[in-house]
Amino acid sequence: MSVVFDAVMLLLLIATAITVARARDLVAAVVKFGLYSLVLCLVWQHRGAPDVAITEAAVGAGVTSVLFLLTIAKTARSERG
Amino acid sequence: MRTFALALVLVVAATMVIGIAGLPPHGDPDGPVHTHVGARYLEQGVAETGLRNLVTAVLLVYRGFDTFLEVVVIFTALVAVLALPSATRQPPPPRGEGAAASRREADDAVPVSPVVFLVVRLLAPFIAVFALASLYRGHVTPGGGFQSAAIIGAMMIALGLVFGREHAARLVPHGAKAWLQALGPLVFAAVAFVGWRLTGAFLGFPADEAAYALREAMVVVLEVAIAVGGAVILAQLFMALDAPS
Amino acid sequence: MIGGVLLEIVAVGLVVVGVAFLLAGTIGLVRFPDVYTRAHAASKCDSAGAGSVLLGLALHDGFAFGDLKLVLLAILVVVSGPTTAHALARAAMRSGRRAWTRDERGPA
Repeated sequence: MSVVFDAVMLLLLIATAITVARARDLVAAVVKFGLYSLVLCLVWQHRGAPDVAITEAAVGAGVTSVLFLLTIAKTARSERG
Repeated sequence: MRTFALALVLVVAATMVIGIAGLPPHGDPDGPVHTHVGARYLEQGVAETGLRNLVTAVLLVYRGFDTFLEVVVIFTALVAVLALPSATRQPPPPRGEGAAASRREADDAVPVSPVVFLVVRLLAPFIAVFALASLYRGHVTPGGGFQSAAIIGAMMIALGLVFGREHAARLVPHGAKAWLQALGPLVFAAVAFVGWRLTGAFLGFPADEAAYALREAMVVVLEVAIAVGGAVILAQLFMALDAPS
Repeated sequence: MIGGVLLEIVAVGLVVVGVAFLLAGTIGLVRFPDVYTRAHAASKCDSAGAGSVLLGLALHDGFAFGDLKLVLLAILVVVSGPTTAHALARAAMRSGRRAWTRDERGPA
């Protein structure tokens, strides 16, 4: 069961990473990156690293998303803008 | 260009695959993870450092320099953002009648929704308590300075979003702003020198039984400085990027 | 004895209902035509779905002291989910998104 969970989570991680890289709309990329962080947070917790999981959730999914969005608001929204 | 990119990706991918193939199997008792310092940390960490949380012991005692530089890196990020010209440039103040009103209008063209305002106000104290608990309990359970810094910083950003820039700026007292931003590196350096005086090693922690209270005090001071300094830096990063340009 | 079984039934029922809401919300998020209907579906996931799954888990565990965390989490989710949906819909409204109607069938 644990192996299945790990495998699903890691596959999901790769899938979200690819969607982040493929997104043309940078706001969509940020949202997908938040999802990536959330999945990674679950992986950390499941692998027994709650410290890293808390940081990943707070910094990866929370603070960096806000900072990225602000930067996009200041620059351009599209990758080739 | 496309062929070059493709070749580059293939080379990097091949390198990574070769590297991963060279790793010892997961859980291998003879792997480097289990034969080098890791085992010693686990077996003797508590006795050697006198700290109850092994993660804290590794973070502050065994890997103190890494953590020190990590704090410096966060501080450097803020310095870099503040060095951008748009971060500190103030928009020209509007003149004449109704200047204050038009200024406010430009600042938040969209009024904050009363629902979001109420919910953020209601949740903020709980978030603060969670951050403090994570700092305080970080001694024995997961959590600690960095986590609590991220949580307090996120809370300050949320409050800044609903209360507006002027009110949010007041969360960090103006005179102490520069000191608070540099709190992490400054306190880390101070504790490192205290450790030097006590043990003869930079960032050393007195490990004997008698120095229990002193050692705990050093760790607590470091954790609080990381939490407060990190939170202020995160909030300031947000303010600097959010500044009207 | 009977009480325990009853509690278990209620707990499992809550989890099942929660998962059903999560599924329906997810399908809605993918299938609905515009931002307002999607926010409507997604907020069901949060409040009804995750909320009742958490409450069901707390019941399943027998309401020990540690389950207070699950209840607090459920309260947080129930409060923050609708707020997020409200903020999203409001931002969409303010930026001039038109609501989908049956007449205009194009992609919203």
